[in-house]
Amino acid sequence: MLTYIIRRVLILIPMAFVICFLVYLGLELTPGDAVSHMVNPDAAGSMDPAQLEALRQSLGLGQPFYVRFWAWFTNLLQGNFGYSMSGGVPISNIIATRLPATLELAAVALVFSTVVGSLLGVVSALKRGSKTDSVLTVIGMLGVSIPEFFFGLVAILVFALNLGWFPVGGRSMPGYVTLWDRLPHLVMPAMVLSIMLTAGVMRYARSSMLDALSRDFIKTARSKGLPEWRVYLLHGFRVALTPVVVLIGFRLPVLIGGSVIIEQVFQWPGIGNEFISAVRSQDYPVVMTIALLSVMAVLVASLIVDILTAVIDPRVRLGE
Amino acid sequence: MTATQDIAISVRDLKTFFYTNNRCNKALNGVSFDIKKGKTLCIVGESGCGKSVTAASIMQLLPTLSRIEEGQIIYHADRGDIPLHALEKNGRQMRRIRGAEIAMIFQDPMTALNPVYSVGFQIKESLKYHMKMVGRAAHEKAISLLKEMGIALPEKRVNDFPHRYSGGMRQRAMIAMAMACNPKVLIADEPTTALDVTIQAQIFELMDQLKREHGTGIMLITHDMGVVAELADDVAVMYMGNIVEAGTVDEVLRHPTHPYTKALLASVPVLGKGRNQDIKAIRGSTPDPLNRPKGCQFADRCDFATAQCQVMPEETHITPTHRVMCWRYKELVPNG
Repeated sequence: MLTYIIRRVLILIPMAFVICFLVYLGLELTPGDAVSHMVNPDAAGSMDPAQLEALRQSLGLGQPFYVRFWAWFTNLLQGNFGYSMSGGVPISNIIATRLPATLELAAVALVFSTVVGSLLGVVSALKRGSKTDSVLTVIGMLGVSIPEFFFGLVAILVFALNLGWFPVGGRSMPGYVTLWDRLPHLVMPAMVLSIMLTAGVMRYARSSMLDALSRDFIKTARSKGLPEWRVYLLHGFRVALTPVVVLIGFRLPVLIGGSVIIEQVFQWPGIGNEFISAVRSQDYPVVMTIALLSVMAVLVASLIVDILTAVIDPRVRLGE
Repeated sequence: MTATQDIAISVRDLKTFFYTNNRCNKALNGVSFDIKKGKTLCIVGESGCGKSVTAASIMQLLPTLSRIEEGQIIYHADRGDIPLHALEKNGRQMRRIRGAEIAMIFQDPMTALNPVYSVGFQIKESLKYHMKMVGRAAHEKAISLLKEMGIALPEKRVNDFPHRYSGGMRQRAMIAMAMACNPKVLIADEPTTALDVTIQAQIFELMDQLKREHGTGIMLITHDMGVVAELADDVAVMYMGNIVEAGTVDEVLRHPTHPYTKALLASVPVLGKGRNQDIKAIRGSTPDPLNRPKGCQFADRCDFATAQCQVMPEETHITPTHRVMCWRYKELVPNG
């Protein structure tokens, strides 16, 4: 098992390197360079081109691509992502303030949708063909097919504006200290964010559970005289878990890379929101860094998925 | 007839029906037999004749859309007779018997073991639920069971997952699981169909040994006549939900009386006779179970059918142990 994990991590390193390279290549291809952002365009017109060139040289922009890439990459390893073009704030600072908000949202949504989704999926599978099953299936279809922003707007209208149970948006107010203070702000965005994933997990869990229950080893388990709960949970659900874990794992980067729309709808000060404003102001380094983060999240998520599936299903542990 | 104390399970006039698309398939239409302690009862017949349904009925492992309509399944336990047919399907009493007193092994050991648990875990499950044996003791017992089933390096193998076992080993592991609580009856539903011939022989050898050493009554479902000749003490031949002929192995194989049994025996190729041997396939095919012929189910394919066969023949005893369901059995009894 340990060798399996080590092997998977080792595969990750060259992949991460290639991705960093591609992101830097993307940065390189964006129009203009640091100098054209540093200097006011009006002023640039009246400046001596030689002066601009000198500035370029002094910033090291005249050096070949690979040298600059290496400099950028080593900085990256030290946690220095560069600077935002608007305001010149270190990007690491931006990430440090924005990421916790996004992670908070993602964690709640992930836990909620995993637990509730699998539970409903299993119930649906066990009561196959019943009214409960039909209702859950229809709800699942709606959850998967209606876009999130719609649920977001409806939730704001109903629970914030009409009923006044929750605040309309934002993450915090002056004077809020603990998570408990902020909880009302968290409820709506987290729930709306969970809807689609919950519905997805439910549908997956249902079909996967039905598949598992139709397998021969379920009959074997019954023939051993095991109680029904043990047959369903230990023999059925455990086997049904693998596809569900894969689904959840691959939703993880989407949640971390910024639930762009939900953060926008609820004015949640997370990565997704920052991403939108960076795109609007053509702040390429920030956009690229967030893109890099999302891609890394995909890599890490796939690593987690691989490890979890190996834990759940011994047949996956190749090369043992 | 045999004395009652030698009988482990007696099945009387069992009728199990399947309900699909508002139609009723009478999968078992009045089946009676006894499973004797320390003896092997072989149930033979074509696919779809109700062999597996019989096993599932005894274990109460029938699919949702089927039920035991009539008849009795009496399990003669040490603590008294228990009517299995009346027990709740997955109720506490039925579960107490399943796996502990009546165990079952299945056709395909590739799929019958749960792939995500070690073989040891799956054996220990039985020990835990029926013998309250956990921890070290259960582990030791699991190892000794695997050892008894002839698995090499049981101390190591006990922690292995099923996918690291070969087909034959998996079936041995299944038998180890089934024998974990030393059951009175072992029901084996075509246990070797998925295995190759040399492994088959080993598995049957193992089952025979268990029967001798533990006095387990075995109900073996098969369609291999060679297996019947080798292992059976008693034989029941099934056709379309009825036992058309039953008796001791000698009676049925040496003096087959029902035309179906005869035809079945004549259709078995004999190894060594060469490829020009005369194999008599039974003509026609089994009728649609949802659209059965009237009377004797075999009449349409039978060389001896008469007008009388439009009515279902009664079960008739030729000897106290040998019984047959055929109008013309007297003419067909082989001389001597």
